[in-house]
Amino acid sequence: MKNPAGTFARSLIIVLITLTSITPFYVLLLIALNSPSRRLADRLFFLPEFYFRNFADAWRLSSMGTAIMNSIIITGGALAIVVLVASCAGYAIARFPTRFHRMVFNTFLFCMMIPPIINTVPLYTLMRSIGGINTRWAMILVSAANVLPFSVFLYSSFIRSFSREIEEAALVDGCTRFSAFWMVTFPLLKPVTSAVVIITGLGIWNNYAQAVFFLQRESVRTIPLAVSMFFQQYGARWNLMAAASAIGMAPAVLVFLLFQKYFIKGLAAGAVKG
Amino acid sequence: MVTLSRRIGANLHKFMALPAVILFGVFFVYPLLRGIGLSLTDWNGISAPRFIGLRNFVDFFRDDRALNDVKNTVLFALGSAPLLNIFGLLYALLLDRNFRGKSLARTIVYLPAIISPLIMGYIWYFILQPERGFLHKVLESLNVSFLGDNWLASGNTALAVLVLVNVWQYVGMTMVIYLAGLQSIPVEMFEASKIDGAGYFVTLRYVTLPLLAPAIKINVVTNIIGSLSVFEVIMALTEGGPGYSTESLSIYIMRMCYGNFTGYSTAVAIILFFIILLPVVTYLRLAKSREVEI
Repeated sequence: MKNPAGTFARSLIIVLITLTSITPFYVLLLIALNSPSRRLADRLFFLPEFYFRNFADAWRLSSMGTAIMNSIIITGGALAIVVLVASCAGYAIARFPTRFHRMVFNTFLFCMMIPPIINTVPLYTLMRSIGGINTRWAMILVSAANVLPFSVFLYSSFIRSFSREIEEAALVDGCTRFSAFWMVTFPLLKPVTSAVVIITGLGIWNNYAQAVFFLQRESVRTIPLAVSMFFQQYGARWNLMAAASAIGMAPAVLVFLLFQKYFIKGLAAGAVKG
Repeated sequence: MVTLSRRIGANLHKFMALPAVILFGVFFVYPLLRGIGLSLTDWNGISAPRFIGLRNFVDFFRDDRALNDVKNTVLFALGSAPLLNIFGLLYALLLDRNFRGKSLARTIVYLPAIISPLIMGYIWYFILQPERGFLHKVLESLNVSFLGDNWLASGNTALAVLVLVNVWQYVGMTMVIYLAGLQSIPVEMFEASKIDGAGYFVTLRYVTLPLLAPAIKINVVTNIIGSLSVFEVIMALTEGGPGYSTESLSIYIMRMCYGNFTGYSTAVAIILFFIILLPVVTYLRLAKSREVEI
């Protein structure tokens, strides 16, 4: 587009889109940083008062500290399991196409179409009978299982795309196929691993629909659960509620801004392989 | 002993898929199959389940609330999935070109997609709530408050609001996948089309869109699945209300389970599964036959 009018229109649209995306965040901060007595009629309403008491009160009244720790433990634990287990399975499926492995792969492929809500109720009964309700370990295993299909799919299609010569060189040097995988192949999988960590990690971190079934006690609640609990208790005190929401989303925003490049790259890698 | 351990080592790779198979079998496939079994019972979550054949499924089609939830779920998806794809593509085409602040714009558009949809829903609640909501206050100060009243109070507008909030939140996700697709198209394709004298829209129609096929496929499928299983944004904004006018099937499943209709809730889940499977499989078939034509 060479003509200046077109360029101007385009820039205007881009500014509008970004404003649309950012405004609700600004409103949230505005409410979170204003004292309860602030009225819209006040002068300079659209500049926050920087009333940080809301944050202190929200932190004190909610169990957000515990919730953040729980979210970190559950997401971290699930991701560690997923990366280990899915890379192994992806390798086996890509390199040793037996009938069993083809069946496993097709099952994973089919289950990618099934959102977790479908089997949540029977899963709940299973969790009850194995004592998994209100425990972090059970939530870790469930979260890991949910994202396995996608992760195995990503790993196997990536491993298929590069040659097995390097692994074979390791075999000549006396490695078994199993140790060749860990010493040679696994380190080469970093791009997929980061895609898996980012895409599935986001889903596990934000999981509410299942967590609300399995994590009912306050000591094991994750961030979305803690925020919704706080909303039910203090929902009428908007300034507090907004502060709690802002605290709840801060870790994700922080990680996103720090590792932005990897987010976009990881998503792109996932998309191209998908 | 040495030979035994060596033989184990040499064959270990044959079992590398096992941990994934076991984990997935126990925590995904087994509950799925057990759900099918439970859907044929009248289990209330406490006493022993009794086999009742297909009665839950028959009941479903006589259950007005359930049928209403099917309608809500499908309407939500019919609004959400196409809008996400259209806007995701438009955003990607706009933000694919080089301009100053390109990466900042992309970051901002993508930002909502990383936040929990529940928390995002609460933020929109602050904005849209009648009486106290931010939008209401702003409109009130401009003396046009009738514009912003009761968006969430009537079923139809509430559903539309939910669609818009969902599209607003996830348009960045769809956009990023389209951007990745656009970047994988070799520049020569565009240059060749330019030499042939094709304008922007002709190039878009005959070069860009066909080459975006893989990205379109991923986006359509994930958006269909995501919007038909919608849960969080509704819980945060309307809790399915007013009445049951915005309740989705996944919320109904949870409420039936808590309401001691455990057997019935698993039957609803199976019906939801088919409601999701049908459009996805149909779409994938269509996409495949079109690929053959190209």
